[in-house]
Amino acid sequence: MSKKKSIQLKELDDEALVVELQRHMDPERFGVLYDRFVERVYHKCVSMAGDKEIAKDLVHDIFLKTFANLSKFDHRSKFGTWLYRITYNYCLDHLRKSQRQRTVDVDDDRLESMEDDTDRYEAELLSLRADKLSEVLAALDPADRGVLLMRYQDDLSVKEMMEVLGLGESAVKMRVMRARERALRIYEELIPEGS
Amino acid sequence: MSQGPFKIIRPSDEPPAELRKEVMGSVKLMMLMMRFMQLFMADYAGTIFENFRIVGRRNERDGMKGQSSPEPPKT
Repeated sequence: MSKKKSIQLKELDDEALVVELQRHMDPERFGVLYDRFVERVYHKCVSMAGDKEIAKDLVHDIFLKTFANLSKFDHRSKFGTWLYRITYNYCLDHLRKSQRQRTVDVDDDRLESMEDDTDRYEAELLSLRADKLSEVLAALDPADRGVLLMRYQDDLSVKEMMEVLGLGESAVKMRVMRARERALRIYEELIPEGS
Repeated sequence: MSQGPFKIIRPSDEPPAELRKEVMGSVKLMMLMMRFMQLFMADYAGTIFENFRIVGRRNERDGMKGQSSPEPPKT
């Protein structure tokens, strides 16, 4: 690929670059896409896996998966959102396979009181100390960890979370609420009151 | 709304430099495999006939050597 063409590719926005790639798949073009997104994907994998070596392997596999499935991307969402979904699902699958699933029973008839509880749990969660939060996240089920990171670290809106998780609005809110509850429960177990 | 602790624990280090080389190497290999599959699956019969020749056993081939192709009829 000529230097001029390489510069032209770098000037394209994400969506146009993906269209170019779908028209003509070649590793050099994919390299431009890789350079744009690798940091986001790597950080997401480190947050989810909590280990840089595992994160490195995950990033490798995620980009290969992206390359193999790029022709299936239908532009209904932003490319970034699509890649985020691949990243989240791949990390989750990996962590689920490598970690025994923790089961925590939560009542299902909580939807009505959800809005009231939101502020209280949110305020409590966001007042945790950073070092304690790391411990809590490490002990949390990967799916819950992913949801909390999506909401509070990556600042995804409920709408964006709906796209990534493939769920409806109330289901997304319910997941966030349950994840918050479980996180606080783990926090209380790790750090007993008064200590 | 303060989202302090989540932002504090956000990873900030750069992805390893050698990762790019590894990913691009795998992408090139995958592309090669995809092209091969595409070529083969698109016209597998043609690919077989064009690229593979079925040869008989040695004695059969030797026997064929003596036979000349029939001459075209004289007009």
